[in-house]
Amino acid sequence: MIADGVIDLGWVFDHLGDMWEASVEHAVLTGIAVSCGLVLSVLLSLIALRWRRTYTPITWVTGILYTIPSLALFTFLVPVFGLSLLTAEIALVSYTLLILIRNIVSGIDGVPDDVLEASSGMGMTARQQLLRVQVPLALPAIIAGIRIAAVTTIGLVTVTVLIGQGGYGVFILRGIRRQFLTEALVGTLLSVALAVVVDLLLVGVGRLAMPWARRAGT
Amino acid sequence: MPNVPAIEFRQVEKIYPGSSAAAVTDLSLEVAEGETVALIGPSGCGKTTLLKMVNRLIEPTAGMIRVFGNDVRSSNPVELRRGIGYVIQQVGLLPHRTVAQNIGTVPELLGWDDRRVWARVDELFDLIQLDPELRDRYPSDLSGGQRQRVGVARALAADPPIMLMDEPFGAVDPIVRKALQQQFLEVQKRLGKTTVLVTHDIDEAITLADRVAILNLGGILEQFDPPMAILRDPANAFVMSFLGHDRGLKRLSLLPISSVKLVKGPAVSRSASIEEAREMMERWGVDWIALADGDVLHGWVPGEELDGASDLASLALRRFESWLTSDASLLDALDVVVSSRTSAAAVFDGDRYLGMLSAETIGREIVT
Amino acid sequence: MIQFLGDVLGYLLDPSNWTGARGLFSRIWEHTSISGLGVILAGLLSLPPAVLLAHRRRGEFLAVSAVNLGRALPSFGVVGVMFPITLSIAALTSPLGYWATLIALVLLAMPPMFVNAFTAVRDVDDSLIEAARGMGMSESRVLLGVEIPLGLPLIMAGVRTAAVGVVATATLGAVVGYGGLGRYIIDGFAQGNDVLIFVGGLLVALLALATEVGFGWLEKKVDPLRSRRIRPPRIPTLRDTGIRTHP
Repeated sequence: MIADGVIDLGWVFDHLGDMWEASVEHAVLTGIAVSCGLVLSVLLSLIALRWRRTYTPITWVTGILYTIPSLALFTFLVPVFGLSLLTAEIALVSYTLLILIRNIVSGIDGVPDDVLEASSGMGMTARQQLLRVQVPLALPAIIAGIRIAAVTTIGLVTVTVLIGQGGYGVFILRGIRRQFLTEALVGTLLSVALAVVVDLLLVGVGRLAMPWARRAGT
Repeated sequence: MPNVPAIEFRQVEKIYPGSSAAAVTDLSLEVAEGETVALIGPSGCGKTTLLKMVNRLIEPTAGMIRVFGNDVRSSNPVELRRGIGYVIQQVGLLPHRTVAQNIGTVPELLGWDDRRVWARVDELFDLIQLDPELRDRYPSDLSGGQRQRVGVARALAADPPIMLMDEPFGAVDPIVRKALQQQFLEVQKRLGKTTVLVTHDIDEAITLADRVAILNLGGILEQFDPPMAILRDPANAFVMSFLGHDRGLKRLSLLPISSVKLVKGPAVSRSASIEEAREMMERWGVDWIALADGDVLHGWVPGEELDGASDLASLALRRFESWLTSDASLLDALDVVVSSRTSAAAVFDGDRYLGMLSAETIGREIVT
Repeated sequence: MIQFLGDVLGYLLDPSNWTGARGLFSRIWEHTSISGLGVILAGLLSLPPAVLLAHRRRGEFLAVSAVNLGRALPSFGVVGVMFPITLSIAALTSPLGYWATLIALVLLAMPPMFVNAFTAVRDVDDSLIEAARGMGMSESRVLLGVEIPLGLPLIMAGVRTAAVGVVATATLGAVVGYGGLGRYIIDGFAQGNDVLIFVGGLLVALLALATEVGFGWLEKKVDPLRSRRIRPPRIPTLRDTGIRTHP
């Protein structure tokens, strides 16, 4: 193996097109999961914030979903939805919920009391307070949550190849089947690279959206 | 409508849910338009509760609160609050908005157009003497004193007729607090807002307020009078102990020098003879002599320098290090007098010499 | 649906499915033993350096990198990369895919353990440590007697996170030929047998939840402040100060 060179660079250059396609598939699978997860999490967070008692059960259920291994979660969905995109996305979305909801709720809860008192003292309605004060101030926590959710999802998407989806998992699975290190390694490294790129992009978005936090070092 | 108080509490009571004791008990109090009223008392006296009932952040259990004759319960709390300036101790600036945006918050909520909001923000920067450089900074860049001033500017932004201030200068160090209080008085002189101020600092209440309401535990009003009257005639033992042993000294801080009679002091004309000077020193029992003619004070000389001198004009005069202007308070004067060698201070009105203020004169004011 | 769940139940109730080299018991043992070994090895490799670095207030950068790497590394990818690498080493001595799975488990379990142990020790109140040193405790005494006990709940939280991840990743061992509960899922996919898939998923899920709950319990158990958190402090009365043996 060493004599042949551990990494087969020739293979890498021959498959740049495939890598690009896989990257797009991987990014789309991740994007759908994180954006659906975010929408659902915002709704559940609003419920939890409005009716405090629902927060514990919500974190319980999403916590259990988070604990169940991805492959196991797929198996529960396969009998109903088959080896489909829907199965993959339902599982991926359910992993984002706990992270996102916890960050949204604690971000909103973390808004200082004096800021809330001042804003209601100035005559903001509850809705104005939420949109103009609480959400902007919770943004650092919310974006931190989105970063974790996105990076975690990118890793998990590799597993969806086992239920017939695309993305970098295709390289990894083929690498295993053909006992070909280069291909498995390419799949793994591309996944790490995508995670790093997306994470940095989200950091950048955060900086743009929160100029006031720049110097505070968030 | 004359004689309608700006704010009226009528038999107000507040009992918090789950608490058996009342936070405010059967309290009635009126604040006239343009007046500054300080609410003061030990913690648990309901002063903050009382304040927050005016803008309905807290609702009374019983009784009525009227603002310019209208029951606050008849107005929408959000609308009501937009018409009342509100300043709190921790300021509560919105950390994600610039200083200018913070100040413009209420006008923006009221739907003013941008140009009008920014023009108003400029005016306020001017009014509270904030460095225009700070406009586009965020609150985290400001010092404690600057934050407080921005908080006051924000409350004044929509030009509300009423200001509610909850320990507005409580979170800054004493030197900054003094400066902020001074500025408050200047701004208040110009704007004449009806102001209710909660404080735990009796000196602040005395300095800033036209009338002071002293509250006891359970929100019982013990005395409601101008500072002078409270210091002179405390209504009861509670008020007296709340004012502290230095009540007399506090009173001095409210009395200007111009309210007492100045003495000519151990002073002679520059053309007087050495003998006349010695005689004057003896009469006053001091070892120094001042030289004055009319409203001009030349200076002073120590008694021992008179020995062997031919006349007063030939002596080197010393400047009075301890001097005061006539608008200073007697407390300031006391400070100057006790720390001076001459145990008297020269008082001027501008360049004009008015006379001497001696420790005895001030002492008489403490006693009465 | 009912039919399907009946089939699943039927499979689980059939004793012949539980015994034998390919039976459920054997698969559960394969799964738990490799997971346990993975957690122990990862703990031995990551906890001592984490605790020591944190005690010396060094290695901040390493900790931050470990957080990011731990999240970004796809577990499936690590298993996949380890498979071709380990094939030549140990194919003869162990079942196929054993070493690939074990190494992947250890690699993936290390970052969360390292990070939690590091922050646990680093975040112990500085004034406590100063007081401990001021009383004349040696450095090792400070670490063993103050920092580690106070950081233990957080250290255990890292172990829990890692263990749950390990149980999940061990499932992927089946893809590289190892046994474990993942076998049912992978074989089920291959045969189009939904009952087999579901049985595997159910047991993996239960195992993961049991791991979470078990370690969560342990975490509370090791908290040196737990008794004080549950009960308000008891004010000693005069009688309590007398000498008295407990029954």
